Amino acid sequence: MADVDYAYRRLVNTLGPERVARNEYDRMAYSHDFASLPKIALLQWQLYPDFVVLPQTTEEVAALVKLSDESGLPIVPRGGGTGWYGGAVPNRGGVLVDMHKMNRVVALDPALRTVTVEAGSTWHDLARYVESKGFVLPFEPTNAVASTIGGAINSGLVGFGTYANGALRDAIVNLEVVLPDGRILKTAAGADASGAFANVTPLFLGAEGTLGILTKVTLRLRPKPEVTKAVSYGFSGTAQAARFLQGIVDSGVTPYHALLLDKDHFVMERVLRPETPDPADLALVALQGPKDDVADQEKTIDESAAKAGGRKLAPEVSARLWARRFTMYSARRLSKGLVVSNNLVPVAKLEEAVTQARTLIRKMKLNGSVQAFLVDSSTASLAPYVLMDDTTPSGGTALGFVKKMGDASLELGGHPMGLGLLMVFNLRKMHGRSAPFLAEVKNVLDPSRKLNGGKTVEVWTKFHFPGIRAVPPPAMAAGLNLMAFLRRIKPTQDKFVKAYEHERGS
Amino acid sequence: MGLLRDWNYVESATQIPALSEMIREALIHALFIRNDRVLPRQIIADLTRTPAVTVKVKDDGEVRKLVNVLNGEESTVSLGLRAEDYNYFRTALGVGKDREIGLTVRAKTLLTHDWLVPEQRGVQLDFGAYGGVEFGSQGHTGIAQVGIDWKALYDEAMAKGHLLPFVPTVPLDFSLGDGLWGDAPYGSYEGEFAAYVNAVRTISAYGHRTRFGFEEVAGNGSGYDLLHAAVPMLTEFAIPLAVALRLVAKPVARKTITYSFDDGAKLSTGLDKFARTSARPAWVHVTDQVAAGVLRPGVPSEAFMVQVSLAGTPSGLAVREKAADAALAGFKAKAADVPNPYDVPADAYRKTAKRAEQSLFVGEVRVPAAALGDFVARLKAFGQQSAAKAGLYASLRWSGTVSALPTFEAVKDPTHQYDLSKGVARLVDKVPGAIFVSRLAHLWSEDAGFRERMELWKRFKLSFDSAHVMQPLVAP
Repeated sequence: MADVDYAYRRLVNTLGPERVARNEYDRMAYSHDFASLPKIALLQWQLYPDFVVLPQTTEEVAALVKLSDESGLPIVPRGGGTGWYGGAVPNRGGVLVDMHKMNRVVALDPALRTVTVEAGSTWHDLARYVESKGFVLPFEPTNAVASTIGGAINSGLVGFGTYANGALRDAIVNLEVVLPDGRILKTAAGADASGAFANVTPLFLGAEGTLGILTKVTLRLRPKPEVTKAVSYGFSGTAQAARFLQGIVDSGVTPYHALLLDKDHFVMERVLRPETPDPADLALVALQGPKDDVADQEKTIDESAAKAGGRKLAPEVSARLWARRFTMYSARRLSKGLVVSNNLVPVAKLEEAVTQARTLIRKMKLNGSVQAFLVDSSTASLAPYVLMDDTTPSGGTALGFVKKMGDASLELGGHPMGLGLLMVFNLRKMHGRSAPFLAEVKNVLDPSRKLNGGKTVEVWTKFHFPGIRAVPPPAMAAGLNLMAFLRRIKPTQDKFVKAYEHERGS
Repeated sequence: MGLLRDWNYVESATQIPALSEMIREALIHALFIRNDRVLPRQIIADLTRTPAVTVKVKDDGEVRKLVNVLNGEESTVSLGLRAEDYNYFRTALGVGKDREIGLTVRAKTLLTHDWLVPEQRGVQLDFGAYGGVEFGSQGHTGIAQVGIDWKALYDEAMAKGHLLPFVPTVPLDFSLGDGLWGDAPYGSYEGEFAAYVNAVRTISAYGHRTRFGFEEVAGNGSGYDLLHAAVPMLTEFAIPLAVALRLVAKPVARKTITYSFDDGAKLSTGLDKFARTSARPAWVHVTDQVAAGVLRPGVPSEAFMVQVSLAGTPSGLAVREKAADAALAGFKAKAADVPNPYDVPADAYRKTAKRAEQSLFVGEVRVPAAALGDFVARLKAFGQQSAAKAGLYASLRWSGTVSALPTFEAVKDPTHQYDLSKGVARLVDKVPGAIFVSRLAHLWSEDAGFRERMELWKRFKLSFDSAHVMQPLVAP
């Protein structure tokens, strides 16, 4: 490995001093993502990058990747840092490539209904741009305000619009990727050729920046719908609300989005914002289309809700809930951290999954909430979140919840989402005998593990010595199981809500 | 018998000094039409070899054993064949000789034509008798064995309260597996075939039962989406056995509306406008007079017929029909009593398939809806020049792209197939935004990006199938 000062000089020569950072504060800011990691993690990983760089062009990204051959420093690409499992966090320091400055819209083709955008643009900004041109994005992640286009693709996210418009995969026409050897690859043919001409686009969905750095993305656009209307219903329990979501799939109606929010979410929200609706188990459904069609769909949805024992809420409540759809985790302010367990479960078992999530939150004495939404006719996203305080010794044990929730989703025929640095032990459990093929994909594209090495298909520590250079996945799983056990034997329930109210009152 | 093998073969053949003078396209032409006068003896021998043994699959265990025998992990004894079959098997395959024995899958129905380089004296799997299906007791999923006929799957799903969301644009008698290893043009208004595939159960080159994807849910966020990347060439990496499909609920009401257009320009405008609405039909298919005559013989047809399949509640259908009428403004006539080719008894479907398969197909052209009229006009003119009356089956996607399948009334021989393919490729070049995605078009392509991606796939292939069992690569 070359001298770090030499590497710094080479980086500065490539990008200029204003786009290379090495001070403690900048490095610290990039040492974590949205998840709260206990400080003890620093014993295992070098979470602080050596440098943070901000490229502005694809050529600069390619130059940075090639530079890594000289410096020997690993490269970690990063979008909005809204991930949960350490995919965009260094494990052995190195050069962190922040893609934020690559946020331009390259082209919008109204005739072909496509937009080409740099990967560092946020979904929110792009959505506003295409809307001004009379289009909408077919997909928006739940964290669209901060999530970048490249970040969401690398995470293989699900989100708003997938139920009606299909998977994010189907919305992508082409990707421009800088490969680990510095070559620039277009992942599909120029025209809309679907899977033809050796399309490799799907490989980069969920790749977590381990196969290449996405620099440009061409997305399909949908025409702006005549009407978007949100309707919401209150239920006597989450099981009923889950049954309602299942009923939507059976009814054949195709809403833009159908979401379940449990009572506890509103309990926590209300502490922060008094105008929050009365705590109840709610289902929020967004409908899009021509006015008459939306009215007809609403009628069918009303009938499904009534069957499941739901009562329709006032239109202004629904509108307010829909407007706040991108800010689901404000409860984080009640504690010093929050952790989300993202899972996909079969729609047919959604009721069971929601019940299990609530039981787990209760058994582990956590403060948390269950959220779920429909992804497609067979799949629902189950994303419960729990509050944690990672500054206390017991705080980090809340991470055990993610492990247990992932296990539960696997048992139900689904799977946890995200591998990154923390959840790699799930790879084999999820994919069984096809897991080695995924590892081979990494071997073929990045044999020297230059890009985001030691993640997704393996877990590296910060050490280079044989024997301790990698963490065996079962050891990670055992550690998280231990955390879950410690949570269970914790004598008292977390009281973040009460503590916050008390503090505010005082 | 796949893209990787053909592409690798053509790439290697162009390195042969005797052929290096020959331009790539002339070589592909000679390979395709089997012009033995210009091809070296070695290449003729490669093209002449055919699979030595065909195995009719009844059980996935047989495939697993077979793979293990071919990759050298088990002896032929483990196949449990009778003495005479055992001897035939070993002799025909040349077991014990110092050469690779590969495994390939036989397509039930091909829309266009086979790949160039056949399996070299290996084993061919026939999944014709491997056609069971199981539907989830709750929810809308199903696991279907690859040999099941599309029509049987469609009908069975409907009987169990589901709707199979994808249909073949040309209603031939395809099996489900033809969507994986063949060229069955499955799709819907909302997506391509792969969009409905949750997982595929396979036997890997190491003889393991290996599942790609998740049977009950989508695979998002679980690592690289190898399944959807590999679907178009899956059989070059593993032997697919069953497909876990995402279905939808059987709608309360369905309706097929047929619009007639007398002019290609009006048709293009109508389809483009339709795709710019937020309508969500099950499928939108276009046929010209030639194709309509095949689907509904004896029934007079306008220049173009557009069939729109709507689903929903009875009141919702009326609303959607009104919206479709408005978007497709410019149609000459509209009818609600013209049957679609899919919701008919199995015998009637098969009869239609028999008529349709008489035509010569060259492959798929993906063209923007707004340019469909232009493309069809050029296609018709080309058909006249070539003395092969041209027709068209097409399917509209929400993205505004039309998946068009040109058809010709011509003798189905390699020479016609090649010349007509070449002609279509030339005219597609003149239509902005259009792309020809046939098997031959893949081999003709010298695009640098495509070559890079193929090199990647070749490296994946050599890595996934280090035992060289799944259609091993062949070089002259």
